Amino acid sequence: MTYYLTDGGEAAFYTAVFDAYNDKDAIITSQNNIQTELGSEIVEVVADEEKCGRVRKKLRLLDGGAEGEIRLVLRSCDATKETVALEYVRLIVKHGGAVRNMLAHPTVLEMNDLRQKVTGEVHKLKGFLRFMENADGVLYAPYSPDNDITDLVAPHFAERLKNQRFVIHDIKRSIAALYDGREIVITRADSADVYLSEYEKYFEDLWRQYYKSVNIESRPHEKQMKGYMPVRYWKFLPEKRGQ
Amino acid sequence: MIDANRLQILTESAKYDVSCSSSGSKRVNAKGGLGNASVGGICHSFTPDGRCISLLKILMSNDCLYDCEYCPNRRSADVPRAEITPDEICELTISFYKRNYIEGLFLSSAVFSTPDRTMEALCETVVKLRKAYNFNGYIHLKGIPNADDALIMRAAKYVDRMSFNIELPSEKSLKLLAPQKTRDSLIMPMKKLKDASDYDRLNKIRSGKVIPAGQTTQMIIGASPESDGQILRLTEALYRKMGLKRVYYSSYIPVVESPKLPTAGAGLLREHRLYQADWLIRFYGFDVDELCGEGDNLDADCDPKCAWAMKNMHLFPVEVNTAPLEMLLRVPGIGARGAYRIMQARKYTALDFDNLAKMRIIIKRAKHFITCRGKFYGSESRGAVRAALTLGRTEENAEQLSMFSSADIALSARTGEI
Repeated sequence: MTYYLTDGGEAAFYTAVFDAYNDKDAIITSQNNIQTELGSEIVEVVADEEKCGRVRKKLRLLDGGAEGEIRLVLRSCDATKETVALEYVRLIVKHGGAVRNMLAHPTVLEMNDLRQKVTGEVHKLKGFLRFMENADGVLYAPYSPDNDITDLVAPHFAERLKNQRFVIHDIKRSIAALYDGREIVITRADSADVYLSEYEKYFEDLWRQYYKSVNIESRPHEKQMKGYMPVRYWKFLPEKRGQ
Repeated sequence: MIDANRLQILTESAKYDVSCSSSGSKRVNAKGGLGNASVGGICHSFTPDGRCISLLKILMSNDCLYDCEYCPNRRSADVPRAEITPDEICELTISFYKRNYIEGLFLSSAVFSTPDRTMEALCETVVKLRKAYNFNGYIHLKGIPNADDALIMRAAKYVDRMSFNIELPSEKSLKLLAPQKTRDSLIMPMKKLKDASDYDRLNKIRSGKVIPAGQTTQMIIGASPESDGQILRLTEALYRKMGLKRVYYSSYIPVVESPKLPTAGAGLLREHRLYQADWLIRFYGFDVDELCGEGDNLDADCDPKCAWAMKNMHLFPVEVNTAPLEMLLRVPGIGARGAYRIMQARKYTALDFDNLAKMRIIIKRAKHFITCRGKFYGSESRGAVRAALTLGRTEENAEQLSMFSSADIALSARTGEI
């Protein structure tokens, strides 16, 4: 068994695909705390422009949509994502074209599952992200998504909050998207100083009042609520804080 | 600025309106503006009753001229009254929207002063929100019956969706329970809005379309004696003739006491069955006549698709690898998405039960109605199929079954397992 260790980036992944393509026992991973099996080998992969370019070119030739799918899957928090994506590339090459409609094939199913977990979380957080207004008018939204999606979520808010300035802060990965009213910048950010505007508590309280009032108490269905809005997202929701 | 007390009154007065969807509109943000619409809709929170919060749903006023029997805000009710000004609504919407609490505004109102004055105030609010506040998020506006057409059409230019509630499933019940609203006062504006939408579509008008997300309506189920069959026929007609996007059912909750109203609520199961039938009509190619006779009610024990399939056992089982889409859609347990996935997957390989399970198609119910590569794993006996598919919740049901089926089937009916 050979482990191809990447930095998690796309270029390193495609380079690893190039190196590992004919190695049947290959595992590509970006987890640096992997438990390796006895007698297995670890190869550190450094992104190589030429190898990466050749894989991408071939892939583009066979299936124009595959790169986009892989880009999404590489955001997943799942440890097997790179190995699944490698299998997917192999399947496309073997088949000589797009395979995404082979919905009974295990690799296609795994790819779809991983991709849908990422896009599903992006969609969920378009709803569940919560901004707080700072004294200087900047909106600040801390969150800790399962997958690395900050740069996928940010454009939605930049379009929507065109006339605002905001920060979306993934506190788990120490990444932030900054928007100044013109463009989005993704940057590393460990901590943030937040000075809330004097109206912030007022609107938060109104929102909590609204949340309480709009509920129909005679029809409790907590299970459904938790199914649609998993408890792990609650800590950033003013209406659920402390519950 | 609005205070918590008024917000509470105006929210609690609005919450029995079912519709909360924010889908169907592609409105884009303007330069320097706030907000846009997401075509699939976005839910922003969920309340402990399991419903989603997508829009800020409030009444402009709950001080009503009308005396609709079922309504907690009717004129003769002794409840606290409140109102909110257009500017207060705009400020609240903007403040909530900026914080990503909501997807937009769902504005409705009791009829205060006159229908025209009420509609005018609603109209003024949405125009202000769009023009003065440069808000481009989703707006759903409730139409006021008996208001002037010109006001309704003006509002329709600024909002994403409008709805006139049909309130009750027949004119007779409407007369009895909501005497100030007539069928015409609800249907005519719907028709006018439909004609305006049709005009935009035929003339390929892209920007400034009236109600880009269309119209919906709502009716109360179980406050009046209409059967499910009548309700579904009305629903079908509304979809066909008025081009509605959704018909919402609101199962009756006794919030007010009246000799004209039943004392018990209709229960959520009836509402659920109606929605299931509604979906079958819209997305599964079913005709209302196949699902429910005019004077009949839907089977409470099993969903309408299962009920239809059990009445038509001679059409089953169908072979998953060759059946046409129309037939796959009719297999209990296979949903629309599942049917389309099967259509794709079987182009590459002949599917077996294991494949279906891996594709996350629930075969617990479907197995009685399909074969995979000629293999059948369902039950041959009708009684066993019925027992496996019905809720079998009550002792009564299980007892009835045990009279004509074997002991283990009666047990399976009790536990719901096969």
